[in-house]
Amino acid sequence: MARMKFLCDAERCIECNGCVTACKNENEVPWGVNRRRVVTLNDGVPGERSISVACMHCSDAPCMAVCPVDCFYKTEDGVVLHDKDLCIGCGYCFYACPFGAPQFPQAGAFGLRGKMDKCTFCAGGPEKDSTAEEFKKYGSNRLAMGKLPACAEMCSTKALLGGDGDVIADIYRARVFKRGKGSEVWGWGTAYGKPPQGQPAQGGKT
Amino acid sequence: MRLQLLATAVGFAAALALGGGAAHAQQPPASDATAQVERQQAQPGNNAPLWRDVRSGQPGYTTVRGVETGVLVESRGQTYREARVPVAFWGGILVAVALAGLALFYLVRGPMDVKEAGGGRMIRRFSNADRYAHWLMAITWVVLAVTGLIMSFGKDVLLPVIGYTLFAWLAVLSKNLHNFAGPILIVAVPWMFIQYIRDNGIGAEDFKWFANIFGYFRGHEYPSHRFNAGEKLVFWLILVILTTILVVTGLILNFPNLGQTRATMQNANLIHMIASYVAIALAAVHIYLGTIGVTGAYRAMRDGHVTETWAEHHHRRWYEDVRAGKARQKFAEPGEAAGGAGSAAARTQTS
Repeated sequence: MARMKFLCDAERCIECNGCVTACKNENEVPWGVNRRRVVTLNDGVPGERSISVACMHCSDAPCMAVCPVDCFYKTEDGVVLHDKDLCIGCGYCFYACPFGAPQFPQAGAFGLRGKMDKCTFCAGGPEKDSTAEEFKKYGSNRLAMGKLPACAEMCSTKALLGGDGDVIADIYRARVFKRGKGSEVWGWGTAYGKPPQGQPAQGGKT
Repeated sequence: MRLQLLATAVGFAAALALGGGAAHAQQPPASDATAQVERQQAQPGNNAPLWRDVRSGQPGYTTVRGVETGVLVESRGQTYREARVPVAFWGGILVAVALAGLALFYLVRGPMDVKEAGGGRMIRRFSNADRYAHWLMAITWVVLAVTGLIMSFGKDVLLPVIGYTLFAWLAVLSKNLHNFAGPILIVAVPWMFIQYIRDNGIGAEDFKWFANIFGYFRGHEYPSHRFNAGEKLVFWLILVILTTILVVTGLILNFPNLGQTRATMQNANLIHMIASYVAIALAAVHIYLGTIGVTGAYRAMRDGHVTETWAEHHHRRWYEDVRAGKARQKFAEPGEAAGGAGSAAARTQTS
């Protein structure tokens, strides 16, 4: 089975926010919820780099570990999903997540949290695939249609890659060989762990 | 409607006040950018300074509004996750040991009764204000403790038994009860403090009372004033220290719209957990002694009255002061405790 991962190539990302727009359009996310965002470091000065970040679908997901109602689950593709019928909106997943992925629509005054919403890798939720209920709660289920996440598909410079980890790592490796620089696989060390000792590293992991 | 408007206005004002600070924090400092520029000239393609900034949680620029949206990696979440496991484990053990210990003590020792029951005159131990403050605190506190325990350990204890659907319903009910009951303590804690501080001063006698703690459980009490050292411990440790900590950390967690960072909420959550487990274990002893553990104690908080014998046995110094007219508490007027007195005396005899 494929192990789905995201990879953002900092040498290619031009901060167009196309991925953010694609995500919002595809999933019709509630107001105030941003499943994906683009962050620019050293904005406006030489050496500026931009990175698109969303839920990385971690191997050992911290959100899953701290959830008090056990609403997270992992699909056989390695996608971390959650069940909004179980979620109580406590915010613990948001405290634990290194990427700031969990989002909470405001459910009342004083910032009362509603049910958590996050990137689903365009894989929907626990409802039956591609149903209206699934779309209403989790957005599009492109994986069930045999497609990849809308953000990565939409990326104009192909900086954001989404798909089987081995495939996108190969694409990225070919790029690094060709250009001879920019080998950092952003977020992979945090999300998927360090590679086992003795194996050739796939570039520096940050 | 007016309340809702007010609430929105307060939230909006707070968001404005704190939003300014958050926007300012998103400007990357020039020094890190300089390091990256220098490195790029010396070694093209080496982005090490940039990635160091990312790892350190240095915020960048993003169009998404909100707190810390410019931070790419928040590494402290991992520490929070690692700390939660042992805190919850040992906290659970502490609460379970306290409850099991009390159950065992009740089975072995039974309720601590006054030997020469029956009574004499009634003494008004708690004023109405004393009792209202305590009941407001007691009901709110127990609701918070029970809902807190459900959210803390339900995943390991209840979920395997009652299943996902029922547990999710119970958990969301717990979360909402917890969130709405919590702020009541903003009123209840100061009120309790004002109502009870006068007789909770600590002196050398209190240490002697603790030295005789085993005698207390055998029925030979070291003479105490209106509150014994155990009750004073409850006042100072549970109310003044732990519950105040719980209120402060709880409010940080309850109002995520005030612009606090994730690090603040992680720390608040861990402190909230530790303080609550210790407080629940101690409060369990307090509740036990106030209800089934000591005959007549529950009556004192329910009606405000205790029998003369009860007072002499459990709070001898206070009883002597009441008799001498030196205490603020007086003997009940004839007929004042008519509803409670007879039944209280009867209860003392039968239970």
